[in-house]
Amino acid sequence: MYKQVNAMGDPCPIPVVKTKNAIKELNGPGTVETLVDNEVAVQNLTRMANNNGYGVKSEKLGESSFRVVIEVGDAPAPETAPGGEETCPVPGGSRNDTVVAVSSPCMGTGSDELGAALMKSFLFALTQQDTLPKTVLFYNGGAKLTTEGSASLDDLKSLEAQGVEILTCGTCLNYYGLSDKLAVGGVTNMYDIVEKLSAAGRVVRP
Amino acid sequence: MREKKPALIVTFPTTTDAMGMERMCAENQLPGRLIPVPREISAGCGLAWKAPVDAQAHLTDAMSQAGLHWQEVRVLELWV
Repeated sequence: MYKQVNAMGDPCPIPVVKTKNAIKELNGPGTVETLVDNEVAVQNLTRMANNNGYGVKSEKLGESSFRVVIEVGDAPAPETAPGGEETCPVPGGSRNDTVVAVSSPCMGTGSDELGAALMKSFLFALTQQDTLPKTVLFYNGGAKLTTEGSASLDDLKSLEAQGVEILTCGTCLNYYGLSDKLAVGGVTNMYDIVEKLSAAGRVVRP
Repeated sequence: MREKKPALIVTFPTTTDAMGMERMCAENQLPGRLIPVPREISAGCGLAWKAPVDAQAHLTDAMSQAGLHWQEVRVLELWV
C-alpha cells in the first residue's frame, strides 16, 4: 500500500503527526511519502522512522521542497501523538536553552591583557547574536565582570534588558570582597548553578 | 525591543594597535570601546574600536597625534 502526505507549509510537529497517521492507515507494510518544506521536518521524520524501525530515505527536490519516503515493514504502527522525535524550532527564534558559563575575567590562557580584551569582545559579540542565550552564569574570577568597574557592564545590562538571565555566584562575590559591588543581574548559589548547567540544552564556556 | 543604531568602527593592522587604541583613549578620556571586528567588515579575526559616530574627527586627530596606525574608519549599524 502507498500513501502520500502533503505537509508543505505545515508547522512543526504537524508533518510528523500527519505521517504517523498515514502509517497507521496503511494497516500493515507499505510506503508513505511525505512532502515537506524544511530540513528540520526531514530530520524529525527520519528520527521518527528510525525510532520505529522503518526504512527511510529523503531527497531535496528544490529550494524549499523535500521528499521523505518511509518504508513500513511488519513493525507496529506508531502512536499518533507526538512521541519526542520532534525538535521544533522556538517560535520567533529569539531565545534558546543555551547557558553561557563564565569562570574567569580572561578568555583563554597566555596573556592576561589579551585575555581580558578577548572576554570583553566575547560578551559584546554575545549581544550581537540573533539568538540570545537563556542564562549567563559568572563564577570564580568571572564574578568580577558583573561588578562595579567592569568594562562589560553595558553589554551585560543590554543582555539583561533583552530577557537574558544574568547570575553571579554569591560565594565568589564574597571571596573577592565584591558582595556590595554587584552592578548587573542577580546573585545565585551552587545549587542553582548545578541545576541551570544540568538543564541547559547547550553550555558555552568562553 | 532590540534595535540597531549606527556606530563608528575603526579597524587596525594588528591586535596590538587596537589594544594601544584602548590605552590611548583611556588616558585621554576619549569615547569608545574594543569590540571584535564586525563580520560586515571582515571574516577574519581582530579587534576594532567602536565609538559614537560624532566622535570621528576627535578620534582620528588623537590617533594621528599619538602615532597610532589604523586601517579603516566606517559607520555600521549594530545592535544596542
